[in-house]
Amino acid sequence: MKINSILVVDDDENDQFICEYTIRKFDPSILILKAFDGSEALDILHRETPNAIILDINMPVMNGFEFLDRYAQEFEVHAPVVAMLTSSHLGKDRERAMQYSFVKSYFEKPLQADHLRVMADLLRG
Amino acid sequence: MNLTWSWQKANVAASLWCIAVGVAMMALWLAEPAGLAARAPWLFGMKFNAALAFVVVGAALALSARGVRTLPAVLMVPVFVYGALALSQHLFGIDAGIDTLLDTPFVDIGTSLPGRIAPNTALCFMLVSAALALRALRQKNDILQVALGFATFITAAAALIGYAIALDFAHDWIRFTRMSFQSASCFVAIGIALIFVGTEAISYHRLTLAGVLGLVTYLILLTMAYYELSRYEAAFGITFSSTGPDARSTLSSLVLISGTLYGALIIHLYFSSRRARDMAADLAESRGRLGAIIDNAVDGIITIDDRGFILSANPACTRIFGYAPAEMAGRNVKMLMPEPYHSAHDGYLGNYNRSGEAKIIGIGREVEGRRKDGSVFPLDLAVAKVELNGATIYSGIVRDISERKANERALIEANAELEEFAYRTSHDLRSPIASSMGLLTISREMLSEGDLPALGQTLQRMELNFRRLDHLIQNIITITRTRLMEEDDRPIDLRALVSEAIDALSHLDDTKRIRIENHVPAELTIVSKPSKFHVIVGNMLSNAVKYHDPKEAEPAIDVRAFRYAGKMRLSVEDNGLGVPPASRHLLFKMFKRLHPNRSFGSGLGLYILRKSAEALGGAALYEARDKGSRFIIELPDGDHHEDQLDPGRR
Repeated sequence: MKINSILVVDDDENDQFICEYTIRKFDPSILILKAFDGSEALDILHRETPNAIILDINMPVMNGFEFLDRYAQEFEVHAPVVAMLTSSHLGKDRERAMQYSFVKSYFEKPLQADHLRVMADLLRG
Repeated sequence: MNLTWSWQKANVAASLWCIAVGVAMMALWLAEPAGLAARAPWLFGMKFNAALAFVVVGAALALSARGVRTLPAVLMVPVFVYGALALSQHLFGIDAGIDTLLDTPFVDIGTSLPGRIAPNTALCFMLVSAALALRALRQKNDILQVALGFATFITAAAALIGYAIALDFAHDWIRFTRMSFQSASCFVAIGIALIFVGTEAISYHRLTLAGVLGLVTYLILLTMAYYELSRYEAAFGITFSSTGPDARSTLSSLVLISGTLYGALIIHLYFSSRRARDMAADLAESRGRLGAIIDNAVDGIITIDDRGFILSANPACTRIFGYAPAEMAGRNVKMLMPEPYHSAHDGYLGNYNRSGEAKIIGIGREVEGRRKDGSVFPLDLAVAKVELNGATIYSGIVRDISERKANERALIEANAELEEFAYRTSHDLRSPIASSMGLLTISREMLSEGDLPALGQTLQRMELNFRRLDHLIQNIITITRTRLMEEDDRPIDLRALVSEAIDALSHLDDTKRIRIENHVPAELTIVSKPSKFHVIVGNMLSNAVKYHDPKEAEPAIDVRAFRYAGKMRLSVEDNGLGVPPASRHLLFKMFKRLHPNRSFGSGLGLYILRKSAEALGGAALYEARDKGSRFIIELPDGDHHEDQLDPGRR
């Protein structure tokens, strides 16, 4: 199964831009959904379930981990691939994120085409 | 001291006795009652001169006891001379004319010549007068006086006992010239006074002295009895025993054996009394030393019995708990404990007494204590069980560890903050760099594709990233400076400082459409650290500008300052975005950005504000407004005191 839609959750305008550009280059047909913090992301997820979520950790209002808690509790159906995308590679954060069954990958910023390829492979099973 | 006082009384009693006997006898001799002399000749054994001498000796004894020096010594000279002359009359068979100098006796009883005193009486007068003169002049006792008193006592006591047991030689050193029992009693009294009064000064043991005195008297009496016996034997030509050893050798053995036994007893008494005294002194010293150690200990030392009642508490306990020792003694130790220990302590003790299961005894741990003023503080407690003659007591050593705990907590907090700081900086410092690296890759692609307008935009994004990075680094530098910078207090003109800070913001585009007003009174000054204060005011203002509401028609910022309850309050209020209620608990924390899509902030601004205010001994506060925020910093106001502005407020 190929990626049809990706939700990008990041408060940084530039990172959103990089994600959008990289995804477009990778596959222009992918639908890109944007959320600037965890609560915005939850609002979107109440409406639709994308194939993949790219999630930043450090965000105001609701950070990545708070989002993951809510997403785990409030949703029965989860996006098949949730990938963390963070600016620093800290073992503690990675461990914490990987405890969620739906978190499949942990990438370091900036987002690259290779990351998307891994996600696509994961989706294909 | 009581004992000394009682011996002083003995001294006075001896002197009174001498005077009384002397005066009575003088009166008798002057009254010349012939009838009485015929009926009770024994009354007239003491001669008139001797009676007078006793009055003088008694007076000298009383005077020297009151601290008079010269007069008693002078009084003793004629007594000594009289004694010496009287004795020499007996020794050399002369008549010095002293016997009837003042009174011609109307009757001769117990003497060889009218008015002549016995040689032992004369000797005693010499001894007594010499001793008393020495005592009066020196005002203290010494070995010589004690020796003189000894000789007097033994002579007089032998005479007195001689009367009691009808041993004539004891009082009749020369036939028919005897020491009267009145004289003997007076000499015994004086002898006792001489030996015992003041002996504590030369640290003789009184009991030992008394023992030696008894021994010597006893031996002398035995010797005299022996002498008397042999005299009778010689006089009448008889032996008192016909078979076996004769009476004299039996008596000698008796003298020897009893004397040896008695002597050994006295020596034993002497040494054991000295040992007891040394032990008592050692005990007193070690007790004193232990007491001094406990009294001066830094830690509180409490002892309780097995029901929890306080037996003792050292001065450190008073310092730690605030109770005087008398307030603690006899009360239950739970008075020093806050709840829940207060209620549970009886149970702990009962439990331990029953089961022997120790929670704290012999272990020691951190617990809480309660002071007299009710405040609760952490303390280190070590309890030891002490078994004393069948009774169990517990000794506890307590140490107030408030300061240590506070330091520990501060250290843990600082460490946690540092960890958080490291975590966040590693993220936030890398974040713009990672973003720029991504943008750089994209730029290169755009350049190769020749899409110059898109490239321009991307470069602009990169520029923004670097600005953000720069801003973050500046903030980190500010924090470090706030922490490390040493700065002196100086008077600060508040109004001028606020104006300066407003001017510094004028380069920001947003500032131009915001009305910023400085309401700080011109005369208001505060004594504080200028650089830190600058950071605070600049921070509050830039925050208000940064988080203004772009949709607000008339964005405004008002700066006010006033004194309130001994504090200086500086407030910056705006009608901007405000802080969402859900996020207010995150205010003033490190790396907390509260507004989405406004990621220009480093998340350190309010943290710097709080830290700077705390460095100045104050606090940063937030108050929500109907629209917008009010940030306040409250600083201690050195110029004014609390009570001046708001009396009664504590």
